[in-house]
Amino acid sequence: MMNRRNFFGASASAGAAAGINSFFNASAEAAEVKAPQGTVAVRGADGRLKRLGTLDLESQQDFTLGFRLMHNKKLRAQSQSAFERLLYTKKVDPATQMTMEEMLALVADEPAIHIASKTWLANQQVTWKTLQDYFHANADLYLSEMDAADKVGPGKLELSPTMDIPAECRHEIHIQPGGYVGDEFAGHIYHYGTNSFYIAVLGHNEQDQIHKGVAARLPIPEDGKVKRILDMGCGVGQYTVALKERFPEAEVWGIDIGGPMVRYAHTRANFLNNGANFAQRLAYDTKFPDGYFDLVTSYIMHHEVPAEGTKKIIDEARRVTRTGGVYYPLDFMSGGTKAVAPAMYNRWWDHRWNNEVWSREYHSIDFSKEIAARGFTMPAKPVAALPGFGARHAIKV
Amino acid sequence: MANEPANHRTIAAEAIKSDVKNGVFLGNPVLDNVVSCVIALGTELWATKRRMKVMEAVMAKHGVTEAMIEQYKPTDKEVAAWEADRDRFIDLTMGPLGNEGFRNVAANFPKRD
Repeated sequence: MMNRRNFFGASASAGAAAGINSFFNASAEAAEVKAPQGTVAVRGADGRLKRLGTLDLESQQDFTLGFRLMHNKKLRAQSQSAFERLLYTKKVDPATQMTMEEMLALVADEPAIHIASKTWLANQQVTWKTLQDYFHANADLYLSEMDAADKVGPGKLELSPTMDIPAECRHEIHIQPGGYVGDEFAGHIYHYGTNSFYIAVLGHNEQDQIHKGVAARLPIPEDGKVKRILDMGCGVGQYTVALKERFPEAEVWGIDIGGPMVRYAHTRANFLNNGANFAQRLAYDTKFPDGYFDLVTSYIMHHEVPAEGTKKIIDEARRVTRTGGVYYPLDFMSGGTKAVAPAMYNRWWDHRWNNEVWSREYHSIDFSKEIAARGFTMPAKPVAALPGFGARHAIKV
Repeated sequence: MANEPANHRTIAAEAIKSDVKNGVFLGNPVLDNVVSCVIALGTELWATKRRMKVMEAVMAKHGVTEAMIEQYKPTDKEVAAWEADRDRFIDLTMGPLGNEGFRNVAANFPKRD
């Protein structure tokens, strides 16, 4: 089972990661990409990924990746040992299911437990800061590239610079400076920063291997008709372009509240000569007609959304999915409000200090039941598009 | 964020800031800051070592000797640029020593600013 903490955090075992890594690499083929005129690739590209603009920046990211790998093996184990000692000392049964508050009262003053969190976050801050500093130091170059890309295709781009962005969408998730909405280069920063997340835990994704794998396994309607696809909360569009590659004749849309994210996604889709369309829109207010899509999906969006937002998004998904169409919101297992102390600790610090603001709410609801209660049927044997994640395979009734 | 060139289309909106800089995980904000410095230093040190590996490989292919490097005298322009980069390096690696760190890691949970 893969929970959120294991993916973006540091508690995944190296063994588990290696297994999943092999799984994805088996289907990972790097496409050769010819950069269109006007594309910024200062140091060329490795397949689908433009190399970072300087050797130093590339090396800084290489360090933060290496640190994550070491952290997964040693720092997290050290913290776990400290946890076990504490539970023993306090005479607490390790199997005790605790709330977040109960766990915190137990461990609050134990630096030996917190060292893993501190170092992981410090490494995360360096990851973001070095990327942000580089793109802002070269803002003219990269803004010029996006200016040019905005106007061309093959896919469309719709930005809404005056839209009122709800406060719930403006947090600095993963402590990324500016979050998804507050930095012109949020997409650039997110894309390169998350590469090391993937490599350290799930496997290589620099060629969109993981997104392509999910797109390849995504279930389709029983009648086989897939003419229109919606990717909600598309971020930098790696999943969206993978969907377009699987269904080249389909009209594919990626929407996200983060203007800089969809702008980067569109620029990158152009670079890949991919005709996916992108728009800056809310997932619970997509503005598409009723029953417009054959497939509505999302890639780890819902744990970034308040519980009430998730319910509104499911309602919207139902509205825009045609009868017999598939709704497949990929996300982490939702874990309830109690867990054994170390697991609850991981969830707590990820929520509080890695700024996963809405993860508690995500875990507080039964996501699958919420979908089933809103006009979808759930197959008895759902397709797992990403092993270890929640398989929420819904069909519009 | 930094001022962007005015002749470009921009799309960013206001973000709600994380308060992670003020988190105290290790019981003492100074200790937290030192840990941040160590990781940043590691980043810069590895970047330097990796560049050296690239340089040595490239130079060896083009006949640059160790003596040529030892005797090299930088230009005034180079000196100025290197000093600027030194200051950036120090800001990245030592700057966290100046973090205020007033909030205990568990205080006021789950309240945030």
